Amino acid sequence: MTGIHLHINGAAIVDDVPPRLSLADFVRERRNLTGTHLGCEHGVCGACTVLVDGEPGRSCLVLAVACDGRSVETIEGFAGDPVLAALRRTFHQHHALQCGYCTPAMLITARDLILRKRAGSEREIRDGLAGNICRCTGYTNIVTAIAEAAQEIGKEAANAQ
Amino acid sequence: MPNDQYGIGASLLRKEDARHLHGRGQFVADIKLPGTMDVGFVRSPHAHARIRSISVPPEARGRVFTGSDLPRIKPIRITSQSSGAKAPAWPPLATDKARYVGEAIAVCVAPSRGEAEDLANSVAVEFEVLDAVVDAPRDMRGSRHLIHEQWGDNLYIERVVEGGDIEAAARAAEVTVTRQFRMQRQSGAPLEGRAVLACRDHRLDEVVVYSSTQTPHTLRVALGEFLDIEARRIRVVAPDVGGGFGPKARLYPEEIILAALALELDHPVRWVEDRGEHLLTAAHTRDHHYKVTAYADRQGRILGVDSEIVVDAGAYGLWPQGPYQEAAMAARNLPGPYTIANYRARHYTVATNKAPLGPYRGVGRPGACFAIERIVDEVAWAVGRDPVVVRAENMVRSEEMPFTTVGGMRLDNGDYPQSVRLCAELLDLPGVRARQQKGEPDGRLIGVGFAAFAEQTAHGAAEFVARGAAIIPGFESCTARILPDGSVVLMVGIQSHGQGLETTLSQITAHELGIDPARISVRHGDTESTAFGFGTFASRSMVMSGGAVARASRLLRDKLCRIGAHLLQCDPAQVRCGEGAVLGPQGSVSIAEIARVAHLRMDGLPPGVDPLLDATATYEPAIGTGVFSYATHGAVVAVDPETGFIQLLDFAVAEDCGTMVNPMIVEGQIRGGVVQGIGTALYEEIPYDESGQPLAGTLADYLMPGAAELPAIKIGHLHTPAAATEYGMKGMGEGGAVAPPAAIANAVRDALAALGAPVGAEVNETPITPRRVLAAIRTARETAAKA
Repeated sequence: MTGIHLHINGAAIVDDVPPRLSLADFVRERRNLTGTHLGCEHGVCGACTVLVDGEPGRSCLVLAVACDGRSVETIEGFAGDPVLAALRRTFHQHHALQCGYCTPAMLITARDLILRKRAGSEREIRDGLAGNICRCTGYTNIVTAIAEAAQEIGKEAANAQ
Repeated sequence: MPNDQYGIGASLLRKEDARHLHGRGQFVADIKLPGTMDVGFVRSPHAHARIRSISVPPEARGRVFTGSDLPRIKPIRITSQSSGAKAPAWPPLATDKARYVGEAIAVCVAPSRGEAEDLANSVAVEFEVLDAVVDAPRDMRGSRHLIHEQWGDNLYIERVVEGGDIEAAARAAEVTVTRQFRMQRQSGAPLEGRAVLACRDHRLDEVVVYSSTQTPHTLRVALGEFLDIEARRIRVVAPDVGGGFGPKARLYPEEIILAALALELDHPVRWVEDRGEHLLTAAHTRDHHYKVTAYADRQGRILGVDSEIVVDAGAYGLWPQGPYQEAAMAARNLPGPYTIANYRARHYTVATNKAPLGPYRGVGRPGACFAIERIVDEVAWAVGRDPVVVRAENMVRSEEMPFTTVGGMRLDNGDYPQSVRLCAELLDLPGVRARQQKGEPDGRLIGVGFAAFAEQTAHGAAEFVARGAAIIPGFESCTARILPDGSVVLMVGIQSHGQGLETTLSQITAHELGIDPARISVRHGDTESTAFGFGTFASRSMVMSGGAVARASRLLRDKLCRIGAHLLQCDPAQVRCGEGAVLGPQGSVSIAEIARVAHLRMDGLPPGVDPLLDATATYEPAIGTGVFSYATHGAVVAVDPETGFIQLLDFAVAEDCGTMVNPMIVEGQIRGGVVQGIGTALYEEIPYDESGQPLAGTLADYLMPGAAELPAIKIGHLHTPAAATEYGMKGMGEGGAVAPPAAIANAVRDALAALGAPVGAEVNETPITPRRVLAAIRTARETAAKA
């Protein structure tokens, strides 16, 4: 067992974990944050994407012990985040989810694309989603939803200036 | 009384979305029960081997269970009604012999999945390795080591489907075209794998099994049968299910084993499949071999088709329907939407040392469509006419319907040739041809291809009886209940896992009762709260369950009207439901008020009317052979002749599924299906080597379509309501996955026509990988050089 201190969704957490425990299993099994989903557990499908120190990462490939001193954001976080709120709205309006299994990670990835200004065109969005598999939707509506959220956020940013 | 806002035909936004958008969905692995232990399996590393011994280290005893440690488990048995069908008994934990890589041999219980896997690694199994059977066409009549020794061969079943006079068609033919086609083995690969959580409930004296399944009620039937306990003592819950697509519509050994462990150990046990297990052991799909000969006249009118179909079904048949339906459906659907009069299909379902084959979106038909649609194009090439024209000319015309194809499918209605024309319009065919003529600056070759199909949906008893099915999923059920405050609960026997049925079924009740769908809950997936139903598969739930919801809602409507009329002091014939109330000639009474009377103030009920607003109804469509959606798919590709790489430039679907309850959801289903079909066409494959080792064990080897390699999918609709269903609905869940392999292969054929002329290069095997494209180009060039 190894002691770790980290922040999850803003809350300070202290725990003892086996060295081989992944971050995904840590948040799911120990913190009951089950919105982080496991689709392949080898870093391809992207369903387990969370933010580690603000950067999207595969929580199935990151060990919990490697997150000592770091800050993790899961889909259960993002309280008051305007980009995620816009994405939730446009995903709903454009039927960008079916079974919902890929959705939390898809939202986190999409939010990152918008914040990095990598959601300006269909091509950009599609390339940006290369690491997130959706088996249900065929992606068309996901791309539309992200494009619309990006536009909304862009307009708000322009108005704020 | 259609309601534009939320009734039938409205693109009502989904009730399901909110929980998933907030990460609050509840999948099996998300359910926490105190004291739960995880399990891992000891699985066979060999495709075909006798098990000599299983050694469990002393420190692992009591935590590792073999078949002999769980004697209550009976072998899985299929009871096909087809004569001559062979049905091997399948012990959920192999005891004598392993017949595919990944077959379960022992189960290990530990506090975490990792520790369970450590335990599994400590178990030593001694094998005597046998020759593996991996080549279905070669080995179906026999092999050195038979898979099921008592059979004398490796054939589950062989059959012939015939109509007309194929020999006469052969004699009359002016053009004869023969091709071999191959659709490789693949996985359904829902993003959530299988998962089972089982526990005992002592208060209710039952075992509760949470499973990521499409069919909770039939799973309960199976658990009762194979664990020998009464159904009343089993509850099955399918919570949120992260995609199904067919593979989760079958019983798995793991479900039986987990339930048996829960009974044995008296603490909850959980198995969460990893992706390697899924690719190894969850139902595989497709794996079809075809040899097809088309006989045609000089105009390309197809006189007859002769075919041989071999389906490689793996080592066992999955309960309940066994391995038989894949080849049978391919054989009966191969004549497609065409008027072909003379037909013969010899079909063979073969046992091999591979994982069992099961249903996957399209079942049998993507292969059949690939075979017939490729051969239609080759006939067009052979007679020198446009495949678009030849295809439309061979189709059943609307004035000929209902039309029973030579394969025995009763096509009910629609305008098939119009779907070809509409699809060509959506792709701007003249524009694509102009671009093709002009040539690409980078040397890539442009091609366009089409493929059409008619999809049997919502088939009732007649179809399943004709198939010799072990069980007959010919109906669905709904209990509709209005609670004392006037809110509504629909309890249905299907399971919704992305199809949006919580939304669309509430639209039906909203339509019938004139109430807002926001006042309606849909409960599904739990044997405790729903009447028996078969589940969600075979493009059936909207028509079947929707029909049951309509009928149950009407029973409630009639009772609401009787009570409402009494309260309004008028005749029941003078009232109707609407705007959340019963409306009379002079005034109205809200459904909430009627519900209050029916439950809390029975003194307000009319004489002879019982309290409660609770109705259960079943539904089978008026035609048991199904109603047929249809579509033409079109693909535009750019093929690099140097690398063999294919880029999909455009894809369009022109389809007709009758009345659409929720067009937004229909289009979502189409696009999702199409992209799975594109996966079949271009990427997805589980190859096996000669020793029966599967070669795709991760998503790095098993390629699924991603957003980056896909175009937006265009959709055009035709509207021909079915006569035999409620509201004219037709099922449509699977069709999207049926035609893309054929359309894309035809487009690649079109692109490569210039190479190796006059023969042209064809790829008649999916997935159409760069390697296969380059091989086809090489073959065509060699053939041209020899000529």
